[in-house]
Amino acid sequence: MSKSKAPLPLTPAVFHILLALFGKERHGYDIMQQVKADSGDTVKMGPGTLYGSLDRMIEAGLVAKGNTQDPRRIYYRLTALGQTTLRAETERLSRVALVARRQLGSE
Amino acid sequence: MTRHPRQKESRSLRLYARLLELYPPAFLQRHRAEMLQNFADLEAAAASKAQLWLLIGKDLTMSLISHFFASRLSGYVIAVLVTWILLFVIGYFFYGPTPGRPALHIFGGFLPGMLSMYIATRLYVTPQNSSYVIGVLVACVLVFTIGYFRYGSTPGHSALQIFGGFLLGMLSMSIATRLYGT
Repeated sequence: MSKSKAPLPLTPAVFHILLALFGKERHGYDIMQQVKADSGDTVKMGPGTLYGSLDRMIEAGLVAKGNTQDPRRIYYRLTALGQTTLRAETERLSRVALVARRQLGSE
Repeated sequence: MTRHPRQKESRSLRLYARLLELYPPAFLQRHRAEMLQNFADLEAAAASKAQLWLLIGKDLTMSLISHFFASRLSGYVIAVLVTWILLFVIGYFFYGPTPGRPALHIFGGFLPGMLSMYIATRLYVTPQNSSYVIGVLVACVLVFTIGYFRYGSTPGHSALQIFGGFLLGMLSMSIATRLYGT
């Protein structure tokens, strides 16, 4: 992933992590709980999936580390690119949902 | 939900800490403390141990596969498997089906052999000296002995072929981990 622009579409895990971090720094367990709540219990990620995704997102410039005082509770936050990417993906999903609703409505 | 540092570690947490060794060392160096804390939090919030281990089992499987395919070692393993399949196909077309299917038996032993050596290398820095490898070899000899007495009269000695394949798989993965790292 390039640091100037993240490719869309995002995977559900990446999208939900970005959404969980929007407007608030969170640590790993908090992110997992927020993702679970946001997705209505449909996306349940464990520590391995979460930190694998976070590593890739940090490398892509979507997420950065925040408070790292306690090694057991490292906080993560969205970068400007992360926010832009989240907005772009939300727009893309909205357009897809609109088309789907139109198609389903015309049946 | 912050865990007190002096709180007694559960058996589940100790087991999870052991399983974490399957991840690449660089990844563990970055996230071990966080992952253990997350597990402790998940354990405290889980309705049952079964529910907890179902989530962790799925998570470990998926993320370890992802890490494996991101490593240089995966290229080697895929190359070995493709070579094996090619040899099998070429052999089949040139010589026809061999009675007793030795290639299939050896392949059947080769895969678990590679997997067990991969796990051993991840869990123990020096697998040659570890009790795990000795345990696996003793188990191999036991399986072979039982297989020999049970199926000794089978044409081609399939138990011997599987055992040979297993040892070849272990050797192959041992070479790969030395060449490409874990």
